[in-house]
Amino acid sequence: MKVIVGISDMKIGTKPDEELVTYSLGSCIGVALWDPVAKVGALLHYMLPDSSIDKDKAEQKPYMFADTGVPRMFKEIYKHGALKERMKVYIVGGSQVMDDSGMFNIGKRNQMIIRKMFWKNNVTVTKEDVGGAVNRTITLNVGTGNVKLKISGQGEVEL
Amino acid sequence: MSRVEEIVNIANHIPPFPKVAMQVMKMLEDPKVQPKDLAEVIQYDSAITANLLRTCNASYFGLPRKVSSLDEALVLLGQDALKDILIASSSARFYKGGAGEGYQLEQGDLWKHSVAVAIMSKAISRHFKGVDPGTAFTAGLLHDIGKRFLSSFVASDFKKIMDRTYIDGLSFMAAEREILGMDHAELGALIMEKWDFSEEMILAVRFHHDPQALSKDPLTALVAMANTLVISMGVGVGADGLSGAMQGEGVKRFGITNLDLDRYMSNLVLEMERAEDMMVLSK
Repeated sequence: MKVIVGISDMKIGTKPDEELVTYSLGSCIGVALWDPVAKVGALLHYMLPDSSIDKDKAEQKPYMFADTGVPRMFKEIYKHGALKERMKVYIVGGSQVMDDSGMFNIGKRNQMIIRKMFWKNNVTVTKEDVGGAVNRTITLNVGTGNVKLKISGQGEVEL
Repeated sequence: MSRVEEIVNIANHIPPFPKVAMQVMKMLEDPKVQPKDLAEVIQYDSAITANLLRTCNASYFGLPRKVSSLDEALVLLGQDALKDILIASSSARFYKGGAGEGYQLEQGDLWKHSVAVAIMSKAISRHFKGVDPGTAFTAGLLHDIGKRFLSSFVASDFKKIMDRTYIDGLSFMAAEREILGMDHAELGALIMEKWDFSEEMILAVRFHHDPQALSKDPLTALVAMANTLVISMGVGVGADGLSGAMQGEGVKRFGITNLDLDRYMSNLVLEMERAEDMMVLSK
């Protein structure tokens, strides 16, 4: 069964026949977590790095921002028996249009914050596909832990 | 016929933009116009009437109660909202079905993208002196109209265009231009001309991917900025992805900062939820 994760959202999957999918990651970043023992997965689609731009929004839509969404995602998956040491961690997205002025560098800022957060918290990324100018879709199979990456116009591969 | 001639031929034989919409827009220039006079004209286009009733209840337009008749809608809607709904109701017919298939967009995605850029354009319009919010909305809604009609040509040369973009590093639009002889922005501008839209709108459509767009006239800069943000958010984005350049320096002259951009993007997520009723129009 397909479970769609919209922009600024996060879903946990606990059933082996579930597939968590998030479409059309531009500058946004998709984070997938999977614990091979607890057989639980999670997929987050955050849009912006920093919630301090709008505290109300952060409360209403915590998964819109990396700084509120990522910690919350980890807390949620721990509730289902996942352990940090065991978890596979994937990040995809963070594209951006070319712009020397840095005005539209949303993709880069989204990449930088998650690296910083993971570094601080000793989280190792298993695999990633970030940057460039492509449009990505990521699917996590909750039963097997397989992660598929689709780049619009270029087909689907195993990440 | 060469391929460019074939494409230009499409623009020449394009179905007209609904006359009723154009007529009502003219009538709305008169501040004393009465709702019943508008209803008189609108009711003759049953598709527009149906679409208008389907969308006006979207919470985005903020009506105080649910409406079910044209007369009621016209009385309750402010003129600004009425203009936006009318344009959306009239444009939707061009975005039906697999309108963006050649760009590997799913059904309804080109419409969703267009509505998102329209809403974003309107939201940021206060920064752009002299640009009317309704004009911003319309230009945003129609900026990618060229994609609708270039789609089948892109499909037939898809691999070539993709290789030029992702192997050779051209922007997707430059590859369209090189391989098809025309890109979707230029075709869109031709169509806007055919449809008798204003010069500023034609320019905004023509230059929405121009890397220097943000240094051009206000409406052009506005649409280019709105489109860049919506593309970054991945709303209704296809195989062309985020390819191409946009010199962001130009937005500073409008007093817009990085912080503003983040805020507008976060607002759009909620506004799109409130505009959900507009999405059915392309079905």
